[in-house]
Amino acid sequence: MQREVGTLPLAPALRARLAAAGFQTAQELLDTGPCGLSKEIGISREEALEALQVVRQECHGDAARTAGGSGATRRCTALELLEEEQTQGFIITFCSALDNILGGGMQLTKITEICGAPGVGKTQLCMQLAVDVQIPECFGGVAGEAVFIDTEGSFMVDRVVDIAAACVQHCHLIAEAQQEEDHQKALETFSLENILSHIYYFRCRDYIELLAQVYLLPEFLSEHSKVRLVVIDGIAFPFRHDFEDLSLRTRLLNGLAQQLIIIANDHKSAVVLTNQMTTRIGQNQSTLVPALGESWGHAATVRLIFHWDNSQRLATLYKSPSQKESTIAYHITSHGFRDVQPPAVTHSAEGTEVNPRKRPRTEEEKQ
Amino acid sequence: MAAKKLRRAQLSQEMCERLSRYQITTCQDFLCLSLLELMKVTGQSYYEVQKLLCKVSQACAPKMQTAYEMKLRKSVNPSSAFLSTTLHSLDRVLHGGVPCGSLTEITSPPGCGKTQFCIMVSVLATLPVSMGGLDGAVIYIDTESAFSAERLIEIAANRFPAYFDSDEKLFCMTCSIHLYRELTCCSVLKRIMSLEEEIISKKVKLIIIDSVASVVRKEFDTKLQGNLAERSNFLTRGASVLKYLAEEFSIPVILTNQITTSLSSGPATQADLVSPADDLSLSE
Repeated sequence: MQREVGTLPLAPALRARLAAAGFQTAQELLDTGPCGLSKEIGISREEALEALQVVRQECHGDAARTAGGSGATRRCTALELLEEEQTQGFIITFCSALDNILGGGMQLTKITEICGAPGVGKTQLCMQLAVDVQIPECFGGVAGEAVFIDTEGSFMVDRVVDIAAACVQHCHLIAEAQQEEDHQKALETFSLENILSHIYYFRCRDYIELLAQVYLLPEFLSEHSKVRLVVIDGIAFPFRHDFEDLSLRTRLLNGLAQQLIIIANDHKSAVVLTNQMTTRIGQNQSTLVPALGESWGHAATVRLIFHWDNSQRLATLYKSPSQKESTIAYHITSHGFRDVQPPAVTHSAEGTEVNPRKRPRTEEEKQ
Repeated sequence: MAAKKLRRAQLSQEMCERLSRYQITTCQDFLCLSLLELMKVTGQSYYEVQKLLCKVSQACAPKMQTAYEMKLRKSVNPSSAFLSTTLHSLDRVLHGGVPCGSLTEITSPPGCGKTQFCIMVSVLATLPVSMGGLDGAVIYIDTESAFSAERLIEIAANRFPAYFDSDEKLFCMTCSIHLYRELTCCSVLKRIMSLEEEIISKKVKLIIIDSVASVVRKEFDTKLQGNLAERSNFLTRGASVLKYLAEEFSIPVILTNQITTSLSSGPATQADLVSPADDLSLSE
């Protein structure tokens, strides 16, 4: 109630008038009432009433927040967070090596970024995830739906059909082996048509369409509350050309990152972005780094870099708050994203490109 | 979509006039501002501005389709999904042929047959659908002046002697192949931008650009600092327009590229990563 007038979300012209008339706290406004307010500042009674309603809403929100209820800022203890994280599901990728280094799969409520050269498998992984998010809970999935925002036009429906068919068959095999009732029931709804109808596809041609779509995403997700995965395939592509003003680009990207974090948290969904690689020309050599600059590196919580080693595809976990850096090999088969047979996991960072900016890891003895 | 005027985004008249005083006339200008700036410019409260943002976003945002609808649409017309190259093993590897609606890149060292392949595919595109063609015109953008009309007639006459049995049919075919000679990056880009109207008026069913690499390598020396950014700018702009055309009209787009050496530890010759079909515009 002691909130200052300047912090209320009113129109700037109105705020200026209130300040000029000498109002300082929200309580003063509420005490004056709409008629008194309209006479003092010289606005119509309807405008004064609207302003007071906004003030009342804000103060009510404030009170709820200080009482510990849910609002724009969430307060909870680490124990509550731990319980939440432990019951949260992961979106598996069907490549057990990759799931292992990620700690179970793609985490919900986090932003994961996949960087890589063209042709290495980023879109394949995205399509695999859009199918895997729909796996029913009794098979170990999260039973959600997927939003696929495509900026490069690399989404191929036929490929998704192949991946989905392989996934359904995999689940059928599990159900036959285990013979449980809820498996059979779940399989009835887990069919090819259902999987395809729950992938919501948006094709954005330039960065304005992408921005507009992300502004509209919270409303879409409230209507489709079962969505657990948002994929943006090609966040770099629309921002890499036609941008003379790089500071505008940084600002827009930061705004986008913040909105995606809000979406991931509020709707308990995983956000997966794919990024391109660009050359950084150093002193004598040039290295491949993820595109969109240094500041974009802070946007994603988890960063995966896909690269080639002769003819083997490798995935490196480059940035993660809870898992160790490691590199694994993976395969793209006609069924989708899979392990290399047999699954080989190397938990050391040696032998792959050592990141020169990070302190080298020393293996600690386990006592 | 970005250049859509705010008037058409269903904002009220006075709001549009007020915004135009600050030089904000298109959706692009509106969406690039932050919320606080928008509040200042529109003179509205926070919640009102959010509602305005939603309105403008709805005017710009793409339509939603589910993957199932996309699949149904494709399966309605399966024969038009690919252009068969009539080379059976190649068609098998490509799962049917050159795909319609996306970009395909052909790369090889010089003399391997890229231009010959392009000429042959142009003939195939003009054939009627019953013979595996697309029954449409072809736009051929030639940057190396390697296209030979006589070779075109030779291929057509020898490959399909039963169909091209008269001179008239041959001339008819040549009339539907539109050749453009472009020698600079700028003119190639201008030509690509102007293709949309030509595709509709001439009923074009195939676009060939032979080759992208030659103009780019001629004009952009990657050793100079600023050139890399300009080159990638040119390539990504061209790529996005071509992708839009391919998807919008569901036609195949074929681009040819050249080979260069990558100076790494191995002696491998690697494809010049200049191609816009990849989303990477890197130096060699």
